[in-house]
Amino acid sequence: MHGSAVRLGMTSSVKFTRRAVPYLLVLPSVILALWIIGYPILDVANMSLHAVNRFGQFKGFAGFDNFSHLVKEPLFSGCLFRTLLWTVSVVGGTVVLSMPIALILNENFGGRRIARIIIMLPWAVSLTMSGIVWRWALDGQSGMFNATLFSFGIIHQPIAWLATAGTAFPVEIAIGILVSIPFSVTVYLGGLSSFPEEIFEAAKIDGASAWQQWRYLTLPLLRPFINIVLVLNTIYVFNSFPLIWVMTQGDPANSTDIFVTWLYKLAFRYGKLDVAAALSLVMFLILLSFTIVYSALAMREDKEAAESPDASAPARAGT
Amino acid sequence: MRKGLTILVGVTTVAFAIASAEAKSQLRVVVGYYSAATQGIFEGMAKDFNAANPDADIKVEVVEWDNLQQRLTTDIAGGTAPDIAMIGTRWLVDFVKNDIAEPLDSYITPDVKARFMENFMAPSTINGKLYGLPVAASARAMYYNKDLLARAGIKDPPENWDTLVADAKKIKALGSDIYGFALQGKEIETDAYWYYSLWTHGGELIEGGKSGVASAGAIEALALYRSLIDQGLTEPDPTGYNRQDIERLFKQGRIGMILTGPWLRGQMKTDAPDLSYGIAPIPAGSTKATYGVTDDLMVFKSSQQKKLAWRFLTEAAFAPKWRIEFTTKEGFLPVTKVEAEQPQFVNDPQLKAFTEMLPYAHFAPPVPNWEQMADATIRALQKVYTGEAKPDAALKEAASSIDSILQQQ
Repeated sequence: MHGSAVRLGMTSSVKFTRRAVPYLLVLPSVILALWIIGYPILDVANMSLHAVNRFGQFKGFAGFDNFSHLVKEPLFSGCLFRTLLWTVSVVGGTVVLSMPIALILNENFGGRRIARIIIMLPWAVSLTMSGIVWRWALDGQSGMFNATLFSFGIIHQPIAWLATAGTAFPVEIAIGILVSIPFSVTVYLGGLSSFPEEIFEAAKIDGASAWQQWRYLTLPLLRPFINIVLVLNTIYVFNSFPLIWVMTQGDPANSTDIFVTWLYKLAFRYGKLDVAAALSLVMFLILLSFTIVYSALAMREDKEAAESPDASAPARAGT
Repeated sequence: MRKGLTILVGVTTVAFAIASAEAKSQLRVVVGYYSAATQGIFEGMAKDFNAANPDADIKVEVVEWDNLQQRLTTDIAGGTAPDIAMIGTRWLVDFVKNDIAEPLDSYITPDVKARFMENFMAPSTINGKLYGLPVAASARAMYYNKDLLARAGIKDPPENWDTLVADAKKIKALGSDIYGFALQGKEIETDAYWYYSLWTHGGELIEGGKSGVASAGAIEALALYRSLIDQGLTEPDPTGYNRQDIERLFKQGRIGMILTGPWLRGQMKTDAPDLSYGIAPIPAGSTKATYGVTDDLMVFKSSQQKKLAWRFLTEAAFAPKWRIEFTTKEGFLPVTKVEAEQPQFVNDPQLKAFTEMLPYAHFAPPVPNWEQMADATIRALQKVYTGEAKPDAALKEAASSIDSILQQQ
């Protein structure tokens, strides 16, 4: 009796230790993550609720004054609109354009390795560097881009691409897509190479066309990878500072300013650290809510897909 | 192995730094980068001062001008401000308002005060107190390409805007890739390029506590620039060109006239030694004007070594020997009288074009949040240069946003 009680105690403590070990093991990283991620957010949130001078000295509690000040700024609505336009266009363009590139690079052809490297190369170049190169290439007087269009006879007058609101922002969106493609293609390729050959072979034997194979096999299988590309690109692009800053600094007349470039001006040029903190918080909340809503939608879809094999079975039987 | 060595070196350096900090009173001086010569000049001052004062240890750090303001801001916020810093004089207002700059009136002697040219001391005086000593001064003038003017049959550079327009037309006729007048349309000092026109048309940036950028003179000044664009007398699409861009066009011999500062003289020597150019005053409108800009050396209130800092300023940084060295090498205008008397300045006809403008110099108004007001003005200018808005509408919008920034203080 006595002995079994001891044994019982031992097993329950072993059980507890077994259960606790994983948590204990991740605890250091959780603490580190909370410290690294949580502390700055708290600090910014605290700053956004106080009056702070340009030297970071706190000058008293301000409630939501900074937020109402921010919304009243004449540039706020324009920057919000352009941030959304920029994010939707660049991410949308990237998700769509990366697909055919990834499909081609997944095929077997001579020089595939070199082609893959060439597609990946822009990734190795820093965004600032790409921005500088494009700023020069798009120069109205001596830019390579105009020179190329000239020699093909497409234009007859030099165009100062970054000098007017009508061309500067679309051009920046196009370059934003260009530099986001390598990452997205990599993720797609990772997905494509993980698919079993057999299902495609089976589809071919069943007489599925290339389009049908893509639409009913590749696309659904790629779903999780598309989700990753979409969410990560949205986060990167929404917060992307270097390209626009290097190429136009938001000029002309703030027509290329998005939240993050305006944020930089507010904080470091105008010394309005408190309003800038409020803007950072707004940006953080926008991204957070997007990510949560999107993940929830994606998860629900997955769940529905997992629960509905019966629903699709009769259809399959019918064909 | 290499990593280990680096750490070792690092540890020893720190150890030495701690040891020497205990023995000597250290003075940290942060200065802006003007040219490759800046570091050497200030190291030289530090060496002189350290030699004369063995218990002092001057540490000089050179920072790019683009990063200087942000760097000082973060240092102040983090409580690690240096003892002395070089700043753009117009930043001083924000420093004074937040009680960061040490007033220098109790340190300065009549003898030291007498070394300086008076008009350069004025911008550093706020509410009757002196907060900085002018270290560099510049004024703006008009550079003109002598060959282009001669080819267009123009004998003398234009003295007023009407003649400038007529001359620019003649220069434009020389070729399709030659432009009469350079117009800066983006990035730093885009507003300044328009202030020349504003001031010469009798305008003021701030009048009676309100923005003057929508005054009659201001609208006339901007309408003039717009008409230059309309007549094709400037480079096309000015909003694609920052200061370096238009200066580059001038160096390429494609610009007849450009308004800029003394630094271009030094660049011309290396970048376009064969281009023959002259320097003349900014064209006059209803009055004459130029933009005067000074940079200061200031002492921080948080410094534990204010007396030593002041001695470094008067005995090394503003000693005649180093003043002459600085102004000669960096190409600025003399700020102390002893410099102005040097033969190399007295006999320099190009420099004379700048110094002769000094009595008409306007300085940036000493108001806080100046950068935000400048950006509001630049937004209006760019709207007009791109044709998005008319001068009066754009400037009225800018004036009202500047007024609301002024009211916030």
